[in-house]
Amino acid sequence: MSVFSVEILLIVLGLALLSAEALVPSISRRTLSSISLGGVALAFVLFLFASKSATDLPAFVEPYHQLDTLAVFYKGFALIITLLVLWLTVESAPYLAKFVPGGNFSELFSLPILVCVGMMWMASAKDLITVFVSLELVTVSFYVLVAFARKSNLAIEAGVKYLILGALSTGILVYGIAWVYGTTGALSFEGISAALAQPTAPKNAILLGAAFLLAGLGFKVAAAPFQMWVPDVYQGAPIPVTTFLSVGSKAAGFVVLTRTVMAFTAQGSLIAGEIQSLLIVGGALTVLLGSLPAIFQTSVKRLLAYSSISHAGYLLLALGCSGTSRFDLGSGGVVAFYLATYLPMTVLGFLVLAVLRVNGGGEDIKDFKCLAKRSPLLALAMTLALASLAGLPLTAGFMGKLFVFLGLVDHAYWGALVCAVIGAAAGFYYYFRTILAMYSNDAQNTEPLRLNLGSKIIAIVLSVVIVVLGVYPKPLQQLLNQTQTVSAH
Amino acid sequence: MITLNHYLIVSALLFSLGMAGVIARRNILIIYMCLEMMLSAANLTLVAFSRFRVVEGLPDYAAQSLVFFTITVAAAEVAVGLAIIVALYRSKQSVEVESVTKLQG
Repeated sequence: MSVFSVEILLIVLGLALLSAEALVPSISRRTLSSISLGGVALAFVLFLFASKSATDLPAFVEPYHQLDTLAVFYKGFALIITLLVLWLTVESAPYLAKFVPGGNFSELFSLPILVCVGMMWMASAKDLITVFVSLELVTVSFYVLVAFARKSNLAIEAGVKYLILGALSTGILVYGIAWVYGTTGALSFEGISAALAQPTAPKNAILLGAAFLLAGLGFKVAAAPFQMWVPDVYQGAPIPVTTFLSVGSKAAGFVVLTRTVMAFTAQGSLIAGEIQSLLIVGGALTVLLGSLPAIFQTSVKRLLAYSSISHAGYLLLALGCSGTSRFDLGSGGVVAFYLATYLPMTVLGFLVLAVLRVNGGGEDIKDFKCLAKRSPLLALAMTLALASLAGLPLTAGFMGKLFVFLGLVDHAYWGALVCAVIGAAAGFYYYFRTILAMYSNDAQNTEPLRLNLGSKIIAIVLSVVIVVLGVYPKPLQQLLNQTQTVSAH
Repeated sequence: MITLNHYLIVSALLFSLGMAGVIARRNILIIYMCLEMMLSAANLTLVAFSRFRVVEGLPDYAAQSLVFFTITVAAAEVAVGLAIIVALYRSKQSVEVESVTKLQG
């Protein structure tokens, strides 16, 4: 059984669930959610045991599909985040039901599965056609998901904003692909890097196409100057969808970005220097535009949105400098490592937000007051998540940031380093403001939070992962180390 | 004789017009039409490039197959997009950009 069969299985499951509510109107939310959760969990188990060698792929997908370590890593990543998002959906169903006409949830349990398949295909795409189609599978499903709670004005507004800017980025992306194809004559990553190694290639026209292509992808990962939609959309979308956007969509965008940048900056490429400086400048700008406005936020959901922008900035910086030689990690490896540390802390943050919301609370910093008394476990987990997002030593976030900073030092990008340090310092301020609120005592509402067993277990597991990755990152590092040796053949 | 450059200039103009419309117009439906125009411009570029790249006496069809995917995806996007815009009209009785300014901060 190859990984491809798992993906086919998932897409069948997604489509079946999508039509379930239309064909069997009496199906309950409970049945739907358990089939969907169980199906994805089963797919994850199958994925772990499935053959990951490219020779086992069916012949007709082989020209479009690659299975290097990077692809396998991001496929696993997509499955894990989908599983967590589905759980968050179950968890926040009571509050979401108020905003969904007729309480019809079936799309909220089937579309994430389709998104997951899209992300898995993106991870192993070999050419720009596959990238485009799987990217659009993800984006179009997200249009529906963001506007899902359509009785809420904010959700509709977020949906419209995401729709317009997403469609705009698609247009820019296709135009970029057209120019890259026109100037290099290739649509596959291999062909593009081969054409770029020819000294006779038309440099300026290629740069134009590359700039459009990177701008289109920059929209998807929330890179400056295309980051202005992020806070609005994240705030308006339902919490599980926001989580999915900020972790899943970002990871998928970055795997494509990694492959594109690798093709553009391969050995002997004409435009390697320009692409690298573009990424460094864009990354530094993104860090600043993400961290500085975050200082003034009063809503935790919006705060996490700005934090997601600044993390995209660090990821771009990691992509821009070609890895750090001290840890034998290439730029693709550093990005993957950073995203692996980013997953537990962000999901944990949104999980606490969802629990508060279900218990009748809001999303502002003042709603976090006294959390330490209302639920010591959640307060501790949230503290860990925020400390890790800020990059406190001995948490996962610190290791990710360390690799990025060392990469900048190794390549002597001092200006970008200064921006990154300013961003990290601002981060300490705004994350710790929320932590202080949790341990303050002057709240009116001190009744304990109801927390079910599943969420408790997930919160504990995610906290443990944060600490383990922060204290002992070696195994993950070694796993991603192979990435380089495999993909740099 | 119409050359590749003519096609590229027309498509670049179409793309810029679409972009200008997205930035300047206030009606979401018209913005959406401008977005479709940008996609068509990109398609025109793709077709032109692939028609004028001759491999073994035939045009290179790889990029033209991408155009089919783009058209299909654009249709799906319109289906979803119009549904969202209808939902917006139902809740706000308006499809002007001024009706989506609540999320700020």
